[in-house]
Amino acid sequence: MSNLWFLYVFFSALLIFTGIYCLLTMRNLIKLFIAVEVISKGVSLVIIATGAVKNSILLAQSLAITYIVVEVSLVATALALIINIYKKNKSLDIRSLSKLKG
Amino acid sequence: MIIQILLLSGLVIFSILAILLKDLLKAALSLAVASLFLGIIFFRLGAPYAGVFEISVVAGLITVLFALTVALTRKDSEVQEARLTRLVFPLFFIIFLIIDALVMKSFLQQVPALPAGPETGTFGEVLWKSRTFDLVAQLGVILAGVLAVLALFRKKEEDKDE
Repeated sequence: MSNLWFLYVFFSALLIFTGIYCLLTMRNLIKLFIAVEVISKGVSLVIIATGAVKNSILLAQSLAITYIVVEVSLVATALALIINIYKKNKSLDIRSLSKLKG
Repeated sequence: MIIQILLLSGLVIFSILAILLKDLLKAALSLAVASLFLGIIFFRLGAPYAGVFEISVVAGLITVLFALTVALTRKDSEVQEARLTRLVFPLFFIIFLIIDALVMKSFLQQVPALPAGPETGTFGEVLWKSRTFDLVAQLGVILAGVLAVLALFRKKEEDKDE
């Protein structure tokens, strides 16, 4: 079972790394949000895999569902925010948001 | 084990595609396929409810939201990414993969996880009785999300009236 746990945590670490890399390097707001989604996939994979390995799958499942609900709410709000930013700035580039030079 | 590795590889590959593809719509679709893989993994791990949520909500609803946002912002929305970003990614990824393979196993032995103990009852009992507070919090989060979206778009309507 330990090997199985290692396998899942190994792959979820890869997902989280991919997301963080995108967050640090990309400039498109929608891309950044896709990166947040990728990170959240890694996290929910860890939750469920740990629950399955440690015989707490029911608890892990309820936590994962809570997490998914939070994720959807976050995505809806953030995408609405992105649309508003685009309408105001006519660009999705995060560099166009830094108007305060100081 | 082989099927699990294939599913996990598919999940990682489509997630990487979602990040590296230049076309945002294709990126959103890749993300949906990755969610589909994750849902299947959840089913195989014995978490069917989480799998259903993952496939219906994340692969379905969030993809629609992303596609809608891409459609609404498509015109003149080309963002020039740094050239090195995509070229350097495989190098960093391989370095992280090696570190992950070397370190993660010993790391897992040190980290205490959820206490191991047999669970009794059904998923419904756990969700509705043990985690009632989570459900209340979920209602709060959904309400907050709805109010936030309404507030963000109301501002635009006021602008139109002026």
